[in-house]
Amino acid sequence: MAVTETHAPLSTEERAEKRKLILRDAIALFSLFIITVALAVLTYSLFASFTRHRDALARRWKANGERELSQGHPTQAVDALRSALEYGPGRRDIEIELASALAAAGRNREATAYFNSLLDAQPGNGQIHLDLARIAAKEGNATLAEEHYQRALDGTWEGDGYVRRRNVRLELAGYLISRKDYTRAQAELRTASGNAPNDPTIQLYIASMMERAQDPMDALNIYRAQIRRKGASVEAFEGLGRTAYALGWITTARDAMSAATDTRGFSAQSKTTRDAVRQTLADATRILDLYPSPDLNVRALATRVLHAATIARARLSGCFVNANASGEMANLLNQWDQVPVKLSVRALERNPQLEQTTMTLVYETEQQTAQLCGAPTGDDALLLKIAQAPLAVRQ
Amino acid sequence: MIARKVRTLLSELRPGAGTLDLTRLAPTRDERLFLVLSIFIGIISGLLVVAFRVAIEWIKILTLGSAPHAGQYRLFIVPAIAGLIAALLVHWAFPAARGSGVNQTKAALYIYNGYISFKTVVGKFITAAIAIGGGHSLGPEDPSLQIGAGVASIIARKLGLSRQKLRLVAPIGAAAGLAAAFNAPISAILFVIEEVIGQWSAAVLGSIVLAAISSVVVARRFWGSQPMFRIPAVTLRDSRELIAYAVLGVIGGFVAILFSRSLGYLRPRLRAMPRWTHIAQPAIAGLLVGGIGFMGFPQVMGSGYGAMDHAMHGEFAWKFLLALALFKLIATTLSFSSGTPGGMFAPTLFIGAMLGAGVGSFEKLFFPHLTGTVGAYALVGMGVLFAGFLRVPLTSVFMVLEVSGNYSIILPVILANTIAYLISRAFQPVPVFEMFAYQDGLDLPSLEEQREEMPLHIEDAVQPLGVPVAHGKDTIAEVAAAMAEAKVSAFLVQLADNSWYAMTVDELTTAAAALNPETQMEQAVKSDRVPTLFPDMPLDNALPYFPRWPLLPVLNRASKGKLEGVISLNGVLKRYQSF
Repeated sequence: MAVTETHAPLSTEERAEKRKLILRDAIALFSLFIITVALAVLTYSLFASFTRHRDALARRWKANGERELSQGHPTQAVDALRSALEYGPGRRDIEIELASALAAAGRNREATAYFNSLLDAQPGNGQIHLDLARIAAKEGNATLAEEHYQRALDGTWEGDGYVRRRNVRLELAGYLISRKDYTRAQAELRTASGNAPNDPTIQLYIASMMERAQDPMDALNIYRAQIRRKGASVEAFEGLGRTAYALGWITTARDAMSAATDTRGFSAQSKTTRDAVRQTLADATRILDLYPSPDLNVRALATRVLHAATIARARLSGCFVNANASGEMANLLNQWDQVPVKLSVRALERNPQLEQTTMTLVYETEQQTAQLCGAPTGDDALLLKIAQAPLAVRQ
Repeated sequence: MIARKVRTLLSELRPGAGTLDLTRLAPTRDERLFLVLSIFIGIISGLLVVAFRVAIEWIKILTLGSAPHAGQYRLFIVPAIAGLIAALLVHWAFPAARGSGVNQTKAALYIYNGYISFKTVVGKFITAAIAIGGGHSLGPEDPSLQIGAGVASIIARKLGLSRQKLRLVAPIGAAAGLAAAFNAPISAILFVIEEVIGQWSAAVLGSIVLAAISSVVVARRFWGSQPMFRIPAVTLRDSRELIAYAVLGVIGGFVAILFSRSLGYLRPRLRAMPRWTHIAQPAIAGLLVGGIGFMGFPQVMGSGYGAMDHAMHGEFAWKFLLALALFKLIATTLSFSSGTPGGMFAPTLFIGAMLGAGVGSFEKLFFPHLTGTVGAYALVGMGVLFAGFLRVPLTSVFMVLEVSGNYSIILPVILANTIAYLISRAFQPVPVFEMFAYQDGLDLPSLEEQREEMPLHIEDAVQPLGVPVAHGKDTIAEVAAAMAEAKVSAFLVQLADNSWYAMTVDELTTAAAALNPETQMEQAVKSDRVPTLFPDMPLDNALPYFPRWPLLPVLNRASKGKLEGVISLNGVLKRYQSF
């Protein structure tokens, strides 16, 4: 409806008043604009000053929290980090640290709730998934723990993402080892080793984890690679010795352990480590003394076979007295009955077939008595070690 | 200097008030200015609310320390001193700054033609900041609402808006202030409509929305746009879990009644005490609130948003949560009843959050199969208290959604809020803000009652067709004969285009005298037509037409031209008298 059409035209005085009115409104609105700008500047200054103070408080309380956490006071850390968060609301780093402190304080339920709420805002955050994995692991929820570890690996990391992912993988491998899931642990460790730089510290750590994951072969390869480097560390020699010994590569083990004891850093190691190295070296040396190596001359070989047969017979007799005779034991006795009672070096020298049969019987005896009468000691234990991989001893 | 020059210029340019008709000079001026002003009101309110919150935080850090904890003697002293300073300021300088600010805004709208003084705005800002920052158990939202309303009132007065616009402008500012304080524009708009205006008025809705959005944009520029609380998405795997939320609704409803009655009991008694005690009351209340904080519950001091966040993340045990809810109720009753300036929104949310988290933790402990998180229960608890105590059911639902940014919680919220609202209504007929208004001697309209009034519709007054119906093709002579036989004073004429005309016998007589008796009725009737009325329309709509028409036909919406009946002035008045 054109309302104005019905109105009479404005008089001159009215038109002047209308112009005044428009001017007045324009000035009023402009004044309002100036007031708004002035108020905005004032509020910005006040807010900026407040924000600076608040940030300083957040930093102070965060530092307090981190200190308390590193000193093993998670409860105090929780209080400090809560204060930090009050002055730095929405700061992810503080929130994650607070949740970690809650977890460290054993408040798993609260920590999980907190982490889950953080995860809601940052679904792909690797650190949050890692913390949730740790909590789930602590609570014995293996499926959830592994799921969160995997998401942590796939998740986003700030800055040193490459290193953090490797650490997560190693932590996952450690968790799998603790659950005796060696196959998956080995796979994770192989991936970690393949992706890791050729840094001795990292490679030696991965190799040590491979040993724990019952993968001595891969560990041995890493130790060997490290030894090939100039200025190889004593840990590399020791690791090579340990893994070679575990694989039954006694010659290598003896050489590696011998080299370890000759290396400069050996004396700086703990007594327990040194004793363990010396024991392995002694065992390896003794095994090589016991081992009927084909490289020996005929007499020496026959002498070692005869000695081994004597040890095995004594072990069998002792075990037979202490354990109930089983089918396997009876079978073993029958086999020993076929070996001449008065076995001599000369007879063995003349009959290489007898040597071989006797040694096979020695190995079987040590293996079966170990199952029936418990772990052997002394030379029996060393013969058992040879029995596990007779052909590897020379390696 | 510049301001004085501008003022002088403005006064010189002021149109001759009383001598000139502004509606004639610039008929659309007010409407256009109103929209522009809404944006300014929103921005200025937003800036002031940001400054207000910063002031509260500064005062809190300076007086209570950066990390107040139980056992600090300052917790005893600071709220008492803050209460005393606020009381002195209210008593000597800013008497209108007392209370929360919601009723004052309503009073401005319904009693004082939208007038809120500059002094009141300044007073509210200073006294509420001192009280809340000093540890009194009150919130900043209601004062923000009044500050916004005050800003709007001042601006509208300076611009010389009409009285009608002046009255409407206060709710616009209120929405802006509340939206900035809550970072929740929809809740603020709904609250103002539910609690201040009481109806969806097209005249102000656009301005309210503009102002609320402007203020939230400003507030978010400073505080960020993230929701106030974050909880994981709520997955309702088993609908039976709604029973757990319903239990929360029942508990929340009764706690809302307890809270309301505590205030209803203590507040008038403290106000009735000798006048000189009014200065001491906030100080004593501060001492008691500080005592609660000193004894182990410092979380109840101030607005308590930090503690709410902690509760949502399940950081408190259920017994401690329930203790916090109880002590907050006591502390807020003391602070508010003593006349300390400050709001009720934050304490209501606090009690609800603690109650919800407490109930949630308890249920998780004894019914571990329930999947709802403690945070979800805390949020629902907030809504429950909001609905039960403040009696704004729609706002309470949207408030929960907005402060959490989480829509997945909608079902539990609606269920629990409705239960709490119904329980509260059943046992506490007078809503809390109305109760405060009565205590203050104000007779403000009850918006809850207004919402539930059943207005009369045309169908309530419609009568069967008892008059003859003539047609456009009938001649005057035929119709006159029919009317003489029917002995009625008026009748209806249905015209060819299905429009209707209501004619008195006198008008027919006049037409018969002036025209040929064989003239058809279509030529005999005047050019206007009766309005189109349907049975579902408000009965008020019909009243303006009776001076012109002796009776009005009521038509059927489905069949064009089909009559449902007629209404007459007498019939309508009788219906109103019997209502």
